[in-house]
Amino acid sequence: MTRPLKLAVQLVALGCVAGLLALLVWRLTHQQHAPKVGSAAPDFTLPRLAGSGTMSLRSLRGRPVVLNFWASWCDPCKTEAPALERAWARYRGRGVVFVGVDYHDVTDDARRFVAAHRLTFPMVQDGSGDVTGRYGITQVPETYILDRSGRIVSHLAGPITAASFADAFRRGLAKALGS
Amino acid sequence: MTARALAVVALALGLAAPAAAACAKPRTSLGYLEGQIMCPTCHTTLDQSDAPAARRIEAYIRKRIAQCATAQQIETELVRNFGAGILAAPPRKGFDLLAWWLPIAGVAGGAALLGVGVWRWSRRRDDEPPPPGSGLDPEDERRLDELLARLD
Repeated sequence: MTRPLKLAVQLVALGCVAGLLALLVWRLTHQQHAPKVGSAAPDFTLPRLAGSGTMSLRSLRGRPVVLNFWASWCDPCKTEAPALERAWARYRGRGVVFVGVDYHDVTDDARRFVAAHRLTFPMVQDGSGDVTGRYGITQVPETYILDRSGRIVSHLAGPITAASFADAFRRGLAKALGS
Repeated sequence: MTARALAVVALALGLAAPAAAACAKPRTSLGYLEGQIMCPTCHTTLDQSDAPAARRIEAYIRKRIAQCATAQQIETELVRNFGAGILAAPPRKGFDLLAWWLPIAGVAGGAALLGVGVWRWSRRRDDEPPPPGSGLDPEDERRLDELLARLD
């Protein structure tokens, strides 16, 4: 093999190895983890489930937010839904906004779920799971409670009806309202 | 009497409607689409998944097949709902074409390089002059001669 050709082949091989290494580093540095309590909640703009239009998290700044991730195919979400609706009815008068983020769901199924459980708080849809991924959601339901400045004050990785989370949910809401 | 007749007609129409909605000649199959669509929560194709999300998508596909939708239509609807990541293979258009062509280009390039390398190596072997003498250095040759003489 002539010297320039050999050099070119070596450069191509080196380029391939460097490319693969860069991919590995990118993957490791972009792994999605649940944002920590005390950090700012990742912003998003998602289409509303009920019809046209979008909702952005930023537009809710100044009000405490309960961000509930759910899906119609998730059984614990069915158990949790009435409790969430009751909490929404109880806290909405105090300025708390509940937002349901429907994840990896067929739109019609999600709408049927909302109608069946008579959920009246705003719902958005994250079909691709991009936003859900940024919140490090690995299973549904999960709930984040944000204070007025958009910082996370509580993260409940399970239904709020679970014995271990019911108190944490109330404490999180109290903290968010006091912010 | 007229009211009763109208009720019978309405009932008949109501019963006939679902039958009319069913597709007499489906344009695709669940089996085919199960291999083309990913389960969004478990990242395998639907035919390898038993996750609740996968089962709901299968139910949706079944419903659309019964409505005579084509595979292309169903895939488009699912992409609109779940994003392009729902497809097991990237679309054959635009930037996604790279995913199809890069492996082919890589294999072809590798094969070409290997071919050139082998060709050059074999040509060099053919062109190489045979080594002079036995290939042993003079000292070894002398010792070998002595050894052979002793054996004679």
